[in-house]
Amino acid sequence: MAVLTMNSNSIFSLTIAAFISLLMGCNEGNKLSLSERSIIYCSEGSPETFNPQLSTSGTTSDATAKQLYNSLIVYKGKNNTLGPSLAKSWHVTRDGKKITFYLRQDVSFHQTHYFTPTRLFNADDVLFSFNRILNKDHPFHHVSGNQYPFFQSVKFSELVEKVEKINDFTVRFILKRNDSSFLANLATDFAVILSAEYGQMLQDKRAEHEIDISPIGTGPFKLEDYRVGSLIRFYRHESYWQEKAKIEQLVYDISPSKTSRLTKLLAKECDVSSYPIAHAKIAERSDLQLESITSLNVGYFAFNTKKEPFNNKLVRQAISLAINKQALIETVYQGQAAWAKSILPETSWAYDKNTPELGYDPVRAKSLLEVAGYPQGFIMDIWAMPVQRPYNPNAVTMAKLIQADLKKIGVTVKIISYEWSTFLRRLSQGEHQSFLLGWTADHPDPDNFFTPILSCSASELGNNRTFWCNKEYDQLLEKALQTTNMDKRKGYYAKAMAIINEEMPLLPIAHSKRFQARGFDVEGDILSNFGGISFYNAAKNTINNEAKSIVQSKIAEEASN
Amino acid sequence: MLTFTLRRLSLFIFTMLVLTLLSFSLSFLFPGDTVINHSGQINASTTELAHLNQVYQMDKNIFHQYLAYLSHILNGDFGQSMASQSPISNEIRKLLPATIELSLVALLIAMLVGIPLGFIAAIKHNKTSDNVILSLAMLGYSIPVFWLGLLAILVFSIGLGWLPSAGQISLLFEIEFVTGIQFFDILLSDSPYKWQAFRDASAHMILPACVVALAPATIFIRLSRASMIEVLAASYIRAARAKGLSFQQIIFRHAIRNALIQIIRHVGLQFANLVTIAMVTEVIFSWPGIGRWLIDSIYQRDYTAIQSGLLVLSCFIFIVHILTDFIYAALNPLARGNKHGS
Amino acid sequence: MAREKIYLEEVFPSPFMQLWGIFRKTPVAMIGFCCFIFLIFLAIFAPVLAPYTPVDGNLDMILLPPAWHADGNVSYLLGTDELGRDMLSRLMYGTSLTFGLSFIVVIFSLVIGVVIGSLSALTRGIKSSFLNHFLDVVLSIPSLLLAIIIVAILGPGISNTVWAIAIVFIPQFIHITRYAVKEEFRKDYVLASRLDGASNFRILYYSVFPNIVERLMSQATLAQSAAILDIATLGFLGLGAQIPLPEWGAILANGLERFYIAPWTVYLPGLAILFAVVATNLVGEGIRHALKLRKEN
Repeated sequence: MAVLTMNSNSIFSLTIAAFISLLMGCNEGNKLSLSERSIIYCSEGSPETFNPQLSTSGTTSDATAKQLYNSLIVYKGKNNTLGPSLAKSWHVTRDGKKITFYLRQDVSFHQTHYFTPTRLFNADDVLFSFNRILNKDHPFHHVSGNQYPFFQSVKFSELVEKVEKINDFTVRFILKRNDSSFLANLATDFAVILSAEYGQMLQDKRAEHEIDISPIGTGPFKLEDYRVGSLIRFYRHESYWQEKAKIEQLVYDISPSKTSRLTKLLAKECDVSSYPIAHAKIAERSDLQLESITSLNVGYFAFNTKKEPFNNKLVRQAISLAINKQALIETVYQGQAAWAKSILPETSWAYDKNTPELGYDPVRAKSLLEVAGYPQGFIMDIWAMPVQRPYNPNAVTMAKLIQADLKKIGVTVKIISYEWSTFLRRLSQGEHQSFLLGWTADHPDPDNFFTPILSCSASELGNNRTFWCNKEYDQLLEKALQTTNMDKRKGYYAKAMAIINEEMPLLPIAHSKRFQARGFDVEGDILSNFGGISFYNAAKNTINNEAKSIVQSKIAEEASN
Repeated sequence: MLTFTLRRLSLFIFTMLVLTLLSFSLSFLFPGDTVINHSGQINASTTELAHLNQVYQMDKNIFHQYLAYLSHILNGDFGQSMASQSPISNEIRKLLPATIELSLVALLIAMLVGIPLGFIAAIKHNKTSDNVILSLAMLGYSIPVFWLGLLAILVFSIGLGWLPSAGQISLLFEIEFVTGIQFFDILLSDSPYKWQAFRDASAHMILPACVVALAPATIFIRLSRASMIEVLAASYIRAARAKGLSFQQIIFRHAIRNALIQIIRHVGLQFANLVTIAMVTEVIFSWPGIGRWLIDSIYQRDYTAIQSGLLVLSCFIFIVHILTDFIYAALNPLARGNKHGS
Repeated sequence: MAREKIYLEEVFPSPFMQLWGIFRKTPVAMIGFCCFIFLIFLAIFAPVLAPYTPVDGNLDMILLPPAWHADGNVSYLLGTDELGRDMLSRLMYGTSLTFGLSFIVVIFSLVIGVVIGSLSALTRGIKSSFLNHFLDVVLSIPSLLLAIIIVAILGPGISNTVWAIAIVFIPQFIHITRYAVKEEFRKDYVLASRLDGASNFRILYYSVFPNIVERLMSQATLAQSAAILDIATLGFLGLGAQIPLPEWGAILANGLERFYIAPWTVYLPGLAILFAVVATNLVGEGIRHALKLRKEN
């Protein structure tokens, strides 16, 4: 009888073992299964392009910059100091006008089904990448729309006189004037290095536009497959100049719906999810973890200052006064964000505590409207972005709250939302009256807030969708860039903040954290303080071993019976 | 059979003409420039626009314009999507098979579940099991499909963790696109993970297919019940019974066949219903089919995509309709002679 | 002094009253009927009955679970949503949108459909044949798909949804009226009144309509349940009722984001839709059942 039980017991445990191995899909002995060698990332949208030079959208940087490319220098460590990347070291002359980079000599480009490199990375690639932005005669300058929004907003081409090749592994940037944010700009996600050889090949094939669709870079992953609106598949770059990435395959599952991202995360269909909602639900699951990072960002409600009635400063002030910011922060950010007094977050060194602020005062708002000539109120539209960004996790809900607030002062609001890329395109054409958007800094220099969001140059070409252009403000920014004296810079930026809060081209709402959720089996840092995410350090720990050990302990237990 | 075929063929051509005419007129009904709605080229330069005007014969009268549009459609040129600026025929080629796959599997499930249940209800007419089946059918018919889909995901994907909630297959598997029907493509591929992929694809299919199948299944229950009751009351069944045939013999030899024929007639109409349900289900289960794409196009006001998507979808529905008509006619000689049957 | 009746007058209830007699004796149908009346009542009096407004939220009471839950609050019986709006009030107002509008749509398309249908039943020849084919094509397209097409043309919004659904249902009513009227016209009693010299219109009004009204009602309940589902589905897809409107499908879609932390924002509107459709279908079943029984007698 005892033997019989024993037998049925071992059969039982064998069945469990077989079932678990079936479940885990491991049928190749020691080799890790497909899912253990890969990571699926549920991302919030499709990238606009595969070249981060061309776009400032966070979705695009997330999908491209740190996966496919490297830049010359990077931000490293807790203190955000500049460190080497493709450039081993660099040297700045005393007047700050000549910067020499000494390049690594062992960096190889991606080999893919559309390109096979014959040489390693050298100075030509650096020249090719930067001249594409700087030089109007460059064969690739006009490819893909001729827009380099980040570089245009920091006036890169006005700043850089030229880029010189000293020898194969040395390049020198010659600037027209000293610019304290120049190195910081080169360390952003946008200043990536493309392959000159690939460019040449495309030129021979007369397929120049391919360069931004089928990218070649030096980064830890290479592009394998992209289906618009559905997925991006990356393979590991096997001959990466640093240690290889730990995972072999990286898949971006493009899921714009917040709920479907959460569902996939809960159902373990994706390993990592961007901008998760329902934090409480994730926290109560033992197999998931929620992480956040303080990112330098600002969510704002902005006005089209070129359109009626928002070309009137008083109307802008009135609307701003009527909005209950505290309620927005509590409802939309669930309290997980800091009140924004100005566009610059408190954590920045240039932040000035004494910035004046309008506050919440619907009565004054009403009287301001009367002064401005709108005693009966008016009808306006608010464009709420359709995607979740760290600076605004739910623009549509925010718009609804603002709608309720403004109703109290007699302003009727229509909420408009388009698919993300359509939204951005229409916004750039200035079809809107007001909009909810935000900005995530690409590097810790305060200029990265002031210039790209509200400068005149950004209103013509870049991200300034308020189309607000103030000469005094621009002059302050320029002065701040020409000095390296921190106190002086701080003073200029304080004045700039005061101008913004007086003129009210936009109402800063909150500085928030960026959230991400992942399964407990995913290890390694993915989020970074500035710019896009990176999967270079991410890895899966092997559940298989865990499952096997459970089965073995079960068998051992039964044997001892 | 020949006259029947000819009549169906003329009906087919007539309907296609009506459908293309409808889709053609949509370009005029939608806001914006007609030729841009036809072609989807929103960023066309003046020279390109002039060229488009010429290709679509916009300077001639409406009849020529329609002919030009028709010739584009017949050449497989649906213009390009306003949102993605890629040719719509490519997108449809990629998306339609997924919808076909989902709706065919769902139809199969609906018939396999619905028809036997209906027969049982008919045989146990006016008994408890009949009433239970009928009330379940009514409940199934009344549940809003999007709600059902959400509940199914909550229970089976998240609560129990048995089945995946989104997509056609786990994105880890790379299956080359050959036919577009996922199961065939997996079998044709030379992936080392073929069987894993097949299992994964089947798991992904179960929930959406069952959700789509529920409402049509309840209709099949009612149809098959009604048709079986009618057959059982027919005189040839009474004759068979009088001859002393056993109950099983009567049901399996005589009744089922005749009842089935009546049901097949309705499959075409039910399929149209099923495809609509599938459109909503695709949205909930992120199924990469044409329904989700079409609804997305409506959100994005991608008029070119809407008009071509509708054309293709309604052609697909209509073709299935005609096919079931043929099957019905092949099985039932009486239907071929019926002059007004359609 | 009143005259004594010397014979018992045989009372023939009208066909409609006969039907009601049978209908009344089916308990399930009566339950459905009561629910149906209740919904109509709610649809009309929601603004009076609802404890709060459906659009303005109380930001201190965000995502409150229903009252029976430990964290619930009795003054918000069914909980609140992410903007602190009372779910009960939203669902009550939603009754007039989803259920009420579908009822109006059905009555509207019924009237139009019956007028066109009975007129066309009296015509013959090419006009009639064309209409026949046209109806066949239109009827073979599922109502939701057709509604989606029409909304795509008109643009999203609740009023466009209502128009779309009306346009979808009119052909159905034309078809059934036409068929029923033609069938009745072949019967002897119509011939009899025709021999009496009654005009077509008189026959239609006095003889035919009383005999087809139940069939129309049965079709109307089918249409009503389809209309509820269609309005809700379009609302859910974001093509119907727009953002602040408390339409059931739109409430559900709105709650979707918080499905996992506030499941009642999804369960409740779903249940409301289910309740309305089941009630409508029960009434329909009851009518059809009664019709069958009346025929058998």
